[in-house]
Amino acid sequence: MKLNIDGLLVYFPYDYIYPEQYSYMLELKRTLDAKGHGVLEMPSGTGKTISLLSLIVAYQKAFPLEVTKLIYCSRTVPEIEKVVEELRKLMEFYCKQTGESNNFLALALSSRKNLCIHPEIMHANIVVYSYHYLLDPKIADLVSKELAKKSVVVFDEAHNIDNVCIDSMSVNITRRTLDRCQNNVDTLQNTISKIKETDAAKLKEEYRRLVEGLKEANVARETDVYLANPVLPDEILQEAVPGTIRTAEHFVGFLRRFMEYLKSRLRVHHVVQESTPQFLKDIFEKVCIDRKPLRFCAERLQSLLRTLEIADIADFSAVTLIANFATLVSTYSQGFTIIIEPFEDRTPTIANPVLHFSCMDPSIAIKPVFQRFQSVVITSGTLSPLDIYPRILDFRPVTMASFTMTLARTCLCPLIVGRGNDQVALSSKFETREDFAVIRNYGNLLLEMSAIVPDGIVAFFTSYMYMENIVASWYEQGILENIQRNKLIFIETPDAAETSMALEKYQEACENGRGAILLSVARGKVSEGIDFVHHFGRAVIMFGVPYVYTQSRILKARLEYLRDHFQIRENDFLTFDAMRHAAQCVGRAIRGKTDYGLMIFADKRYARADKRGKLPRWIQEHISDGSLNLTVDEAIQLSKHFLRQMAQPFRQEDQLGLSLLTLEQLESEEVLQKIAKIAHQT
Amino acid sequence: MYLFSMASLSEEVLLVVKKVRQRKQDGTLYLMAERIAWGPEGKDRFTVSHLYADIRCQKISPDGKAKIQLQLILHTGESTTFHFSNESSALKDRDAAKELLQQLLPKFKKKANKELEEKNRMLQEDPVLFQLYKDLVVSQVISADEFWANRLGDMNNSDPTPYNNKQDVGISGAFLADIRPQTDGCNGLRYNLTADIIESIFRTYPAVKQKYGENVPHNLTEKEFWTRFFQSHYFHRDRINTGTQDIFSECAKQDEKGLKSMVVQGVKNPLVDLLSLEDKTLDEGYGVSTTTPSTSNANRTVKESSNAAIIKRFNHHSAMVLAAGSRKGQAAQMGTRGILTSSSLLLNPFFSLAIEYEDLQRENRLKTVALNLKKSDRYAHGPVPLQSQHYTTSQDIINSVNHIRHEMVNYKPNLTQVLSSTAASSAITALSPGGVLMMTGTQQAINQMIPTEVQGELKHLYAAAGELLRHFWSCFPVNSPFLEEKVMKMKTNLERFQMTKLCPFQEKIQRQYLSTNLTGHLEEMLQTAYSKFHVWQTRRMLRKT
Repeated sequence: MKLNIDGLLVYFPYDYIYPEQYSYMLELKRTLDAKGHGVLEMPSGTGKTISLLSLIVAYQKAFPLEVTKLIYCSRTVPEIEKVVEELRKLMEFYCKQTGESNNFLALALSSRKNLCIHPEIMHANIVVYSYHYLLDPKIADLVSKELAKKSVVVFDEAHNIDNVCIDSMSVNITRRTLDRCQNNVDTLQNTISKIKETDAAKLKEEYRRLVEGLKEANVARETDVYLANPVLPDEILQEAVPGTIRTAEHFVGFLRRFMEYLKSRLRVHHVVQESTPQFLKDIFEKVCIDRKPLRFCAERLQSLLRTLEIADIADFSAVTLIANFATLVSTYSQGFTIIIEPFEDRTPTIANPVLHFSCMDPSIAIKPVFQRFQSVVITSGTLSPLDIYPRILDFRPVTMASFTMTLARTCLCPLIVGRGNDQVALSSKFETREDFAVIRNYGNLLLEMSAIVPDGIVAFFTSYMYMENIVASWYEQGILENIQRNKLIFIETPDAAETSMALEKYQEACENGRGAILLSVARGKVSEGIDFVHHFGRAVIMFGVPYVYTQSRILKARLEYLRDHFQIRENDFLTFDAMRHAAQCVGRAIRGKTDYGLMIFADKRYARADKRGKLPRWIQEHISDGSLNLTVDEAIQLSKHFLRQMAQPFRQEDQLGLSLLTLEQLESEEVLQKIAKIAHQT
Repeated sequence: MYLFSMASLSEEVLLVVKKVRQRKQDGTLYLMAERIAWGPEGKDRFTVSHLYADIRCQKISPDGKAKIQLQLILHTGESTTFHFSNESSALKDRDAAKELLQQLLPKFKKKANKELEEKNRMLQEDPVLFQLYKDLVVSQVISADEFWANRLGDMNNSDPTPYNNKQDVGISGAFLADIRPQTDGCNGLRYNLTADIIESIFRTYPAVKQKYGENVPHNLTEKEFWTRFFQSHYFHRDRINTGTQDIFSECAKQDEKGLKSMVVQGVKNPLVDLLSLEDKTLDEGYGVSTTTPSTSNANRTVKESSNAAIIKRFNHHSAMVLAAGSRKGQAAQMGTRGILTSSSLLLNPFFSLAIEYEDLQRENRLKTVALNLKKSDRYAHGPVPLQSQHYTTSQDIINSVNHIRHEMVNYKPNLTQVLSSTAASSAITALSPGGVLMMTGTQQAINQMIPTEVQGELKHLYAAAGELLRHFWSCFPVNSPFLEEKVMKMKTNLERFQMTKLCPFQEKIQRQYLSTNLTGHLEEMLQTAYSKFHVWQTRRMLRKT
């Protein structure tokens, strides 16, 4: 159908439209009109992707000078493939409607193996790739730096974007890294002396270029051709590479000195935590390495590798890592911390020193993106509470909205089970973690659910350790045996290949009618990347509140940083983080309006307002006051009723006018008024 | 008991075991193609004969017991015990019979199961029939075979089609759990194994079956084999170290191998392939290592690795159970396995499911007949007691009040056609209790005078008597020896019915001083049957003499 979105003609490749899709597009158009950034939350399965694509493509066609490119970033490979498929569908629709052949170029990058050459990116109208291509400075520099300023950037499934940012800027150095680095440096040394004999001119040429300085890069940045690289600080562009590392031999010697220093730092017997200025002061005192050459390290190494014509950069990953670390540590005095741990907490007898250089401020990595591109849209099915993302990513959105899912029938049933049948309070909190009564009641919940839920059930635990302990305990108590009478049991393991197989078998068992249970962990790969549509997941049980492991020093440092710089209280952040993962887990089961599923929150703490309030609105609004502190039996009764109702046939006619609109309905004033209420402005 | 004459037999005899005692009588046991039979010594007929299809299971006496016995348990619950009494070869004889039965029984099992299932279904669906079954069979008025004799006939003809396509029965995921060990009172455990469980173990774990084939009976007896199985670490999933002398350690290794090969093969569905899910771009050394507790094997405690072993075994077990249920499908699966490129991704059913919004498109799939529920509440809550029907909704009440009000507005008494006051009062007296027109009231009130419980009992008696009488009368005209035999038996059945059911009932209502005439009609019917029988019998005696 052809839509009129606030005066813009939008081709939408379906016969019907969901009301929330309409309001989503409306909100998106406002964002583009204002040339600002937006935060939009809309439940998965309500056609977010096609709405985004339809609107932005239409915008591009209508205002080719205003928006030149769409950069669509998603998380996983299947998600990227899905976007491409939906785009194909849209393009076919355009061709059919307008009769013109397709003059749009879309490009998808899905693996580093087939890295695209940038001229093509330059010309594509739409680029679809993974977050890292834009957020990870190491890759962004190769792939994305020449993307036009007038691009619209979309981060889909962006609920974890802060972690992606942090990951891309953090470095861990172990003894093994340093050993490999040592080899790299030796190889470099040999290659240099070889080249010196055969082609000394090359090295001289390089030296000349370095004296000239990184003028080229500077010109580019000033003329706004490139996406800024957060690793490459502004200042060094205006300066020449310092003399101490200008010749190749000197630089290699410099690297050796730096490496030896790091080695000595790893020889600690107790945990050390320091800021970057402290580290720089120490390195200067101990081995007389100045801040300045350190900052040029990454750039200098790249230059050397180019000069030596080394084809396989992957072999030099260790030395590249060290060089990147050197540049980062000397560039940022804030937002990073250095923690050196001589051993793992759980195994204090085994020496395994690690130097964590960890980024605590996600806004550092994403800053160039917000600065460069005129519109950046952050969207996901679960972005609640919306206001926290602009705070931790440090940007000012022009639009923030959360859309609910309009439903002709209530197809999701969130229940909070707070008590066992014996009135024991259910919780995964630390004090009762080993409590047999809780574990038994959890088992009882799963057992009873396995008897009444058809096909697939997915259960999530707060951590892998916790799941292992509970499974062992259920096994000893014979609970698993009883569950096996109803359904087959599959369990996530730390091994991805093993888990993939278990997942496939799980689906097979759901498919052939036997029914199965998948035990999995929140924050795991399953909880983040696998959808359980329709019969693959009729119920999700979240055992406990998935708080992050709080004993980690890195996390503690990050929490302190958030408190000091963003005024976010530790508990608020931890709860936000736990709830976004819980929402991700339970949201796995509902993948559309024809789908249905139970969402069981098995922890009494979910009933508290500070937890419940952080769930996405489309889940929150279906939690009734009566289902805040249910016993297992009560939950079973409610579930039975729900499942029986849902098992009734659900036809398109039931949805029309309520949660599904025709073009005519969309044009009526009354419906438009109703739609206006769907978006929850903040 | 059935009596078969040896002469009429032309069955293949598979095994003959002499010196087998049954009910303290010496005799010979015969295993034939379709049944097992026993005849006392010196007689040319079988006094015991069971079709294999009727046998539910066999049990044997534990080793070391003085008496070496084999017990057959029938589906009806009856059992027959044979005592092998040949001093020199009793054990061997028994084991031979047991082995043969073990092979034969499963073949007949399916058929029997089907019949049983059908009977079960009929009883469940028809409460009257079930009551009848209880009255006649459970209280041993007639045998189950007699009861089913003329019912199963129509059942088999009625609708055979659904049963033609045999469906393979899958394996219960919890079959190992069903082997509950019991303590035998002297510091040991006893596991009860049935043929079903053994089959499940073999189907799920081909490695165990292979071991069984290799070792039984030449290296180990069957009993030893299973004893070792239950003792082995293989059976206990949480143990990791398998001793070398354990014959099942190899099975565990094979399982491990199988699991590994499954993992190496990878998955077909790209949407569940966690390995290629992420466009992994972070190199080694980058990123925040939030996965704090390391899971490397080196520094795990024993407890942790045992937990990990349990998890692995559960995955493996479920995969094997699943595979056992769909062995056929697996071959095809292997064939199509290949690397999925992005073009073939489109054809992938999982994928299209993931991107299609079926409700956004105009419907063009087949219209199906939807379940049309008038009261979806009743469907959701299950059957509700009938009384709730008496409740009227407030809307109903309002409607009827409105209706009456409406009527009353237009009401005009028709004063020319009213009764005179004397006529009216005499009509009222006549219609009051005790009045002329109410005299028959006592007669009608039988359902008020007799407690419902007695009424129900009477109903059952009628049903049972009717069933028996139907059998009885269907024998006439008696023109074959079979019918002769049957009519005799039915007569005794009727008498037994009168003695065991009717008389106690009569005594009961007498005790409760209820009208004794309740059973009059029943007795009448029985009497008619008896007199018919007498007439027939005297006529037969006359003919014989």
